Amino acid sequence: MFNPAANLKVDRRDGKLAMAHFYVAFTALAIGGLAGLLQTLVRSGKFELPAGIGYYQILTVHGVVLGLVLTTFFIMGFQLAATSKTSGTFTKKQRITGWVGFWLMTAGTVLAATMILLNEATVLYTFYAPLQAHALYYIGLTLVIVGSWVDGAAIIMKYAEWRRKNPGQPSPLLTFMSLVNTMMWIVATIGVASTVLFQLLPWSLGIVETVNIGVSRTLFWYFGHPLVYFWLLPAYMAWYVVIPKVIGGKIFSDSLARMSFILFLLFSIPVGFHHQLMEPGIDPAWKFLQVILTFLVVIPSLMTAFSLFATFESFGRAKGATGLFGWLKKLPWGDARFVVPFIGMVTFIPAGAGGIVNASHQMNQVVHNTIWVTGHFHLTVATSVVLTFFGVSYWLIPHLTGRKLTKAMNKLGIIQAVIWSIGMTFMSGAMHAAGLLGAPRRSSYSEYGGAAQAAEWIPYQVAQAIGGSILFLGIILMLYIFINLAFFAPKGEQEFPVGEAADEAEKAPMVFENWKLWLGITFVLILFAYTIPFIDLIQNAPPGAKGYKLW
Amino acid sequence: MAKTELSRKTKTEIEDSSSLKGTLASVFLLGFFLVITWIGVYLLFVSRF
Repeated sequence: MFNPAANLKVDRRDGKLAMAHFYVAFTALAIGGLAGLLQTLVRSGKFELPAGIGYYQILTVHGVVLGLVLTTFFIMGFQLAATSKTSGTFTKKQRITGWVGFWLMTAGTVLAATMILLNEATVLYTFYAPLQAHALYYIGLTLVIVGSWVDGAAIIMKYAEWRRKNPGQPSPLLTFMSLVNTMMWIVATIGVASTVLFQLLPWSLGIVETVNIGVSRTLFWYFGHPLVYFWLLPAYMAWYVVIPKVIGGKIFSDSLARMSFILFLLFSIPVGFHHQLMEPGIDPAWKFLQVILTFLVVIPSLMTAFSLFATFESFGRAKGATGLFGWLKKLPWGDARFVVPFIGMVTFIPAGAGGIVNASHQMNQVVHNTIWVTGHFHLTVATSVVLTFFGVSYWLIPHLTGRKLTKAMNKLGIIQAVIWSIGMTFMSGAMHAAGLLGAPRRSSYSEYGGAAQAAEWIPYQVAQAIGGSILFLGIILMLYIFINLAFFAPKGEQEFPVGEAADEAEKAPMVFENWKLWLGITFVLILFAYTIPFIDLIQNAPPGAKGYKLW
Repeated sequence: MAKTELSRKTKTEIEDSSSLKGTLASVFLLGFFLVITWIGVYLLFVSRF
């Protein structure tokens, strides 16, 4: 479909805004990656941290800096660039909105990071009450969230402008996807913002004595599960729209892609209880309802898998491939822009399988609070999503900085992904195995008083340290490539690949752009899944908890 | 003049190029993997609880 607003190249001023996000994201990768390496070394039992630095402090650094900072900054930068590319250059007002969002997020990050480094907020990435951090930590996190809303407002404003100028037309696919992810993020973060502002902040300031733990954890996971889809959807944007263009094929179906994103908007949020399946205070019937909703959110992921296989097969067969899997050979195996995200896609198969196990109500007892779960999200976010983000960086960074991805960097990018995969196979594989044997997550090295069961876990912890060390090499390599692409690669033009649908005549149904309908259903589902159990949690609450600082 | 067999052959190839049987096989393999993983942990669950 012809779209006159689309730019061949992202405007330089918009590019600067996106790049600002990427500088913070990759700084986070360096700091958080180092913390991760140290964690695996400590848990191997062979090393101790110097100068009295606590294991739980670096665990907090790792979780917050990678899980919240790297992801949010990269995603916002990518979505801003994708919107500017497909819906046209931001107006001055929209761009200033983006910059205000960026600086709010950055100020919040610096504040929260400072409190963690001062050892005033060793509350792990989930900041579960009754662990109580310094008030400035909660204020820092609030600024990150509010900043991301302002950042998202720039995308919403651009979308609204495009729709005004193109009545009756479906919005450009990448803009549509950025918008869905932004709206899901805003609806989801209301939960975490509520617990921080109304519960944790007054409690850490001493205004109130105690806090209702059940309510705070429920509000956290109301946000915590859509958070993982907020990480995943930008990867899906790249898989649905960018990868077909990179390989020289077509998007299997524009409408299917839009529908899967709408399903994510509907079903990503009312599912937080599957993180609380072992918790008291929530009726099992409501847990079961949210388990069902969780299984509904599997559907759009399976649609994505089908769509990607079909894109690859159609492309391969158009190139003359025959047989059942002959098309695999036709894919561009020397192109980092394809290979690196492809490894991410393949990883999502075991990652998704593990996720289905986690969410299977009673079966959660096998894996709950074990390091299996840590292994699980190192496949989902730390491989599928992160490798896709790296693969996006290989063309997006040079595109925005007016440089080119050289052959040498392309090769290095593929080597980086192979190193990552090897490291993660060791680390995540060992985590999954040890978790099935009962090894706990979120805990430092311990022999548990010489218990025989704990002794079984130690070889796996050594394997995690080996994997963690290999992954850290991967991080160094990625930072080298990022710095090269941002500052030293030769000047030139690097394409921003945006795929076209296989059936150009197919116009996406306008119902997909009916936000009253989709946000309406989203709210109804949320109210249905949460209202009664939430009232229960408040009415039948045990005495509140005072704050603990155990570090 | 071209032989009639040639045009028949081309037609077969067009059919083949729009085939998605590899996709069908792939999604089945993916489905089997999900089921096997789930059953594996389910058996562990049954043996433990």
